[in-house]
Parts: sequence; C-alpha cells; structure tokens
Amino acid sequence: MDIRIRGVSKYYYSEGKTIKALDDVNLTIPANQIFTLLGPSGCGKTTLLRCIVGLEMPDTGEISIGDDVVWSKDRNISVPPEKRGLGMVFQTYAIWPHMTVFDNVAYPLQVRGAAKDRIRESVAKTLRFVQLEGFEGRPATKLSGGQQQRVALARALVAEPRVILFDEPLSNLDAKLREETRKELRAFLGKLQITAVYVTHDRVEALALSDSIAVMRSGQIIEIGTPKKIYFDADHRFVADFIGRANLVKARVRGVEGGYTMVDCGLGVIACQQRDVAVGSEATLCIRPEFIRIVGGEAPAAKNLVNGRIESLVFVGEAYEAEIRVGDEQLLAKIDPDAKLDEGDAVSFTLDPAHCLLVAV
Amino acid sequence: MDHTRSSKLTWLLIAIVGALTVCPVLMLVLGSFSEGLTAFGDFTTDKYVEVYTDPAFFEVMLNTTIFVLGSSTLSTVLAVFLAYLNTRTDIPFKFLFKIISIIPMMIPHLLFSVSWALLLNPSNGLINLGLMEAFSLDNAPFNIYSMWGMILIEGLLDLPIAYLIIAPAMASFDVALEESSRVSGASSWRTLFRITLPVLRPAILAAFILGVVRSLASFAVPSVIGMPGRVQVLATHLYEMIATGFATDYGKAAALGMSVLVASVTLIVVYRALTAESEKYVTIAGRGFRPTVIELGKARMPLFFVVGVLSFVLIVLPVAVLLYTSFVPYSMVPSARAFSMMSLKHWHDVLSDPISLLSLKNSLFLAVVGATLGVILSIFVAYVIVKVKTRASGVLDSLSYLSFSFPGIVIGVGFMWFFVQTPLYATIWALLLGYIATYLPYGIRPMSSAFIQIHSHLEESSLVCGASPLTTMRRIIVPLLVPGIVSGWILMASMFVRELTLSVVLSRPGTEVLAVQILRFSEDGLWGRLSALGIVMIGISTALVVTATLIGNRFRTV
Repeated sequence: MDIRIRGVSKYYYSEGKTIKALDDVNLTIPANQIFTLLGPSGCGKTTLLRCIVGLEMPDTGEISIGDDVVWSKDRNISVPPEKRGLGMVFQTYAIWPHMTVFDNVAYPLQVRGAAKDRIRESVAKTLRFVQLEGFEGRPATKLSGGQQQRVALARALVAEPRVILFDEPLSNLDAKLREETRKELRAFLGKLQITAVYVTHDRVEALALSDSIAVMRSGQIIEIGTPKKIYFDADHRFVADFIGRANLVKARVRGVEGGYTMVDCGLGVIACQQRDVAVGSEATLCIRPEFIRIVGGEAPAAKNLVNGRIESLVFVGEAYEAEIRVGDEQLLAKIDPDAKLDEGDAVSFTLDPAHCLLVAV
Repeated sequence: MDHTRSSKLTWLLIAIVGALTVCPVLMLVLGSFSEGLTAFGDFTTDKYVEVYTDPAFFEVMLNTTIFVLGSSTLSTVLAVFLAYLNTRTDIPFKFLFKIISIIPMMIPHLLFSVSWALLLNPSNGLINLGLMEAFSLDNAPFNIYSMWGMILIEGLLDLPIAYLIIAPAMASFDVALEESSRVSGASSWRTLFRITLPVLRPAILAAFILGVVRSLASFAVPSVIGMPGRVQVLATHLYEMIATGFATDYGKAAALGMSVLVASVTLIVVYRALTAESEKYVTIAGRGFRPTVIELGKARMPLFFVVGVLSFVLIVLPVAVLLYTSFVPYSMVPSARAFSMMSLKHWHDVLSDPISLLSLKNSLFLAVVGATLGVILSIFVAYVIVKVKTRASGVLDSLSYLSFSFPGIVIGVGFMWFFVQTPLYATIWALLLGYIATYLPYGIRPMSSAFIQIHSHLEESSLVCGASPLTTMRRIIVPLLVPGIVSGWILMASMFVRELTLSVVLSRPGTEVLAVQILRFSEDGLWGRLSALGIVMIGISTALVVTATLIGNRFRTV
C-alpha cells in the first residue's frame, strides 16, 4: 500500500510566532518498502509521521493511503486514527502497564470484535514471529527494554495493518541492544511484505534498515534516495554532511575533461564525478574520510594526487584518524591501523574521482 | 478534548478553586479590619492595635518561636538519623521504617497528644505514678504540660513527614560523591559533614521548613499539652479569643491570624523553591544504581534498639495507653487490681451519649461525602494541571497549592467570617466546604501523579490500534487512574475523620465532629470516654489506610 502526501503543511503557534513544522511536503512512499524519514531533531519528521497516522491534523494538503484519502483540507476529509487501520511502534513503546503481554497484543483484535479463538491464534502466531513465545501471561512492565520493544512490534503487526509506522523505536535501547534489535527488525520486516515508515535521527540506523531514505530539514524534504545514493551521491551539501562524516572543501568549477568535472580548490586541481554545473560557478567538494588513500614510497602519476602533512594522529581501534594539512585546508582521513606514520610526516594521498562529490554550496 | 472546551474547563476550575481558597483569605483580611462578626463592613484598625499591643503577645510570640524551632529541629534531626540508617546501612528490620513513615495516617495528632498526657501528666500520669510507686517519690518526676513536653510531642508527630522528604533524597544520593571524598583522604565522619549533609541540604532545609509550617499550624499539641501548663502559643492564643470567655472576638482573632497566615504562605513559597532545588541537586547517572551499604558492625544492635524504641513510642504506646484507659475506671498503674476492675463502662457511656454518636455520624458523613466531592474536583484539577498546559492551568496549579500553607485554625476564622454572612452558618455544609478547600492539595497530588503516569503515547497507541476514544477511556485511561482515585479518596477521607483545627472554629452545637468531641472530653478530663471514642476514630482511620494499601498493591502487581 503506497502513501501519497500532497502539499501538506503544519504550523505551530508559540509566543506569537508561527513555526512551520511541515512546509508544503510532497512525498510518495512506495508500497512494500522500508521508507525512512531522517533528519536532525526538530526537522518535522515525527510530525509528518503523526500526520500520516492521524494523531496530528495538517493545516493544508492531502494524504492518501492506498486508494483511501485519509486527510484532505479542501475536501474536508479527516479519518480518525482508529479508522485508518495502521500499526505503530512508539518511541516509548507505550506498553499498557495494567495489562499482560497477551492483553497488550490482543487489544487491536479485541477492539475490532474478533472471535476469541481467532484472537488467541493470531496473538500466538505474532508472538512466535517476534520470538516471545511463552510470555503471554507476563505483566508487560516486567520485561526488558528489548522485549518490550518486541511486544510493541507484535501489537502493531497483529491486526495485519496496511502500513506500519515506527517513531524512533530504538532510541531507548542501549548501544549494543540497539544494533541487535536493528538486525532483528530488518529480518522481521524483510519477511513481511509490508509498507513501513520509519522515523529516526540516527544515520547508521537509516542506512542499515531502509530501502529508501528521505532526508528532512526544517519541515521540508531535501532529498530522497536509496541508502547508497544518499551516502555516495547526495545532491545537497546538507545531506552529504548529515549522512556521514565528510570533508567539505570550497571549490570553483573549471570545466569538464575526459568524463570528469574539474574543479579548483585548496587541494589543487581535482577531478570529480561528473556533475552538471556551470563553468566558473562555486560548489562544495565533499570527500569522505575513508576515501582518502595514502600512497607509500614512490608516488605514481595517478589522478588527484595531493601532498600534505600529518598534523595529528589518533588511534581509534579499527583505524587511525588523521588530520592532514594541505595548504589552508585541513582534511580528516581514515588510515589503515598498520600504516607506519607519525605526526609531522609528509604524506601523499590520492582521491578516487568517483568519490569526489560536488554538491551545491 | 478540543481547545475551547479545555480552556472553558480551566477557567471554571479556577473560579471554583479560587472561590474555595481565596475567599476565606479575603474574608480574614476584611474581618481583621471590621468591628465584629455582626458589624461586618464597619472598618477599623482597632483590632490590630489591640492584639499586637497586648502585653501577653510578647510572651506568646516567644513561646511560639521556641516551640516551632524546637520541634522542627527535633523532627529533622531524627528524620536524618532514621533516613541514613535505612538507606545507607545494614540495620535489620527495615520494614519498620516504612511503618514509621505511614503511622501519622493512622494515629491522629490529637490522640497521640492525649496518650502522652495520660502517660506523663504530673497528677496521675501512668509513668509518673509508676515511678513514684517504684522509688517512693513524693512528686511526679515528669511534667508533660510544659514547653519541653510540647516540643517532644510535636517533634515526634512531624517526624514522619520530615522522613518522607529526606529519605528519598538520601536514597537517590550519588555515592560516587562520597567515595571521591574518601579517596581524597577524608575520614567517613568528615565526609558525612563536608559532603553528604551539604549535598542533602536542600532536602533537609525543606523538611525543617515544612516542620515549622506544621508546628505553627498545630493545634492538637498546644491545646492538649500546652494549655493545661499555661504555655500559650499563637494557635491557642487565637483559640482563646474565639472559644473561651464571654467576649469572643473574631476581629482580634483575624488580626492575629493574619501574621500566622503571612508567615505560613512565605515559608511554603520558600519550601517549594527548596524542593525544586533539591531535585536539581540530586542526580544519579546510569541504571542498576545501588548505594553502597555501610556495615554498622558493633553499633548495629544498639542503633536498632533506638529505632525499635522510637517505633514503640510512635505506634504501639499511644494505642495501648488509649485502649487501657478506655477500660479502667480511673487512671491507675497497670496491676492485677487494675485488670480486675476493667469494664466496658466508658464504652457504654460513649455509645449511649447522643452527642458522641452525633459527632460520629457527622464525621462519617463528612469523610464519605467530602472525600467523594473532593476527589471529583481533584480529578478535573489534576487533569488540567497535567494535561492542559496553558498559562491559565499554571494559575490553577498555584491556587490549588495555596491551601497547602493554610493553618487550619486561622483559615477557619476566615471561613467563619464568610459563613456568618450566608445561610450555611452552623450547618454541616459549612464544615464540608471548609474541609474540601483546606485539604484539596491532598486530593490533587495523587491524582496528578496518576495523570503524569499516563503518557500520551499510551492513549495514542490505543487509538492507532483501532480503539475509539470511548473504548480508550474505558480500557486504558480509567484503569490507570483507579489507583490514584482510590488513594486520593482514602487520604482525604482519613484526614476528614480526624479533622480538628478547622472544626474547632466552625463546629457548632448540632455539627459536632469526632475530634471536637474528643477535645471536649479532654478539657473535662473524661479520659475513659475520650479513649473509647479515640479508639473508634483510630479504628476508622486504620481501616481506611489498610484498605487503601491493599487496593493500591492489587493494582500495582497487574
């Protein structure tokens, strides 16, 4: 079931000022994908999710789920959340403390008036699916964080919703458990063939879980794409910077040469992945630390060879994090942990043009 | 709930709570400037001049200061001691501490004071009689009817509330602060005085200030212990103006009450600031936090003995004395002869005394009806304070907290000025309104915490699951509120059953209540009847508290 969002805006009024939580959002979430809304806190991603589920009313626009219009300002349609047939996992899990695991999971079926036998069967099946067999009689609050999270997932899934929504469901777990739960969630959702909308501010989570990512900032969607597209090939400086660590270097476009866009910058003349930008215009060159390759000994005559000096070197386990000074620019680089280098050493490195990304200023 | 409806509700509640809390204060102010109850509106400043230039006033102020500071110090020191033992050491039988913290709910202050008068009064106090017999003394060694007696009893009575403030702060204290002091080379005593107590200072000060407010408002101890020994404090001085002698003067009482009220309100403002600060002060990081336990070693048993004696003195002794006194014909030391003379005479007298029965009936009515109305009002007020966060709901929060600082007897005088102008005067409804207004914070607090517990996600997830708002109300919100409603009801009901300070002012022939009747017995020295009626009162309170605890536990385990 796909979700179509057209011209949705949402305003808040606080102390006489209008805050645009959502600013004319247009978005189509394709069916049976894991679609992530990613952005810094306050970017409107949770508001957008709550508009989809019906807990917030937008001020303009239209939202449809599958063939049903669930919200339309112009046509005066407003389907309340309980009639939208969705499932949702809340940030706090929202496990009802006065009920057992069984009652929590059975609730969506009970309020739909399903037969007792069917409820018992479906609950058992769903609990088996989230690996919580035998927990039916436990008070829901006596479970660990990860288990509560799976109860919340089971409750969201039990009524076989058209769409399942996640509001930062892993943010209350500690780092290790978060990684495990993320993998489980990916496996669960992979088996299900369901449209999932996932809200997070954690870029690793977004990259690891999603089929598509929409990056948001101040109520607007900046860019949509697959995790790889967003990471390697972002169009916007904000997206490139937000999704991972990046060195951002001011550059001026010289022209196109042999399939590369050539730029002038503090590192010299650099060949970049080809981009459609006007000659002479300003751009930002974005280089991820892991794509700075140190060249040992004799420097071969490679493309994008740059010379610099190591200013600092920090051992962080799987790599060295080095700060390399080139003229006025300072670059962060990830270097092999077995490299024989010291602070103050002169180094040469190459930049693969495929990973030299030009983004708008 | 949509915006306009909730803002209408907020303003309606502000009107109700405002009328209940501001009205008596306003009437007190106006009354203090009026000629008299029947001459309301003839303004004069005579009453202030009369009250504050009275030569007795200086002595009353001095007594009040000593009494208030003495009892607050005693209760705070004891509370710090007990809280430290409970949270930080390996003292045995820790459940005793929990009991110490809830007994004030069961044994009314009035009866606690009376039981100590029965034990330590100079003419026939049981302990005095026993000691005189044992050591063939001519005079009673102890006289409870004195300043030290008042301080001792009031200090013990305020101990539980001080403990309830200090113990949680002590429990959430980050031990790393102490450990780093020890590592830096300080001894454990030095650490206690340089680190532990200073960090806990806001909580300790808050407990002390609350003790001051409570002892300032206290009427039971000054009337039962202080008045026979002619130790006058503000509360009893005020009581004499309205209740004894031929010329009762509510104008003078109001003028005197103003200073008590102003002091109380100021202290409560300071108290709120301090508790806010103490929450800021005490921080624990990370989960699985457990304070290290200090091994008491050889001191373990002697310290436990002290705690045991305190629990005995606070809980067992008062009830035992009252029970014993209700059966013996007159005060005598327990002996074979005393037990052989035991009878149900006092019980029979009380249960056939029409005024005692009326007071029992009135108190039960006030408890049941008052607590029900109070809780209903509290539900709405708590809802607005917790869930509707507007500036108006902030006003409501402050208003509802205001009556927390009202000294009962003073606000009673304010209500008196009000009710005399209305047909409610000398009816049970006057008491009902006064009770609800004065004890509203005790209903709002459990309801607020119940509402806070209901995170909006719990409601929203029910909606997303497909439940209608009505189903959500029935299956999610109400079940989660029930424990709060029950405990709020019981708390209010048990306070109404033993209400004294407001009632001594507002109660008139026909509207006697239990505590007022007990006070009359005490003034007349009818100790046997007093004890029998007192046991009835303790029975009702205890039954309420036990039911509340059972219901609370039942809901908590699901």
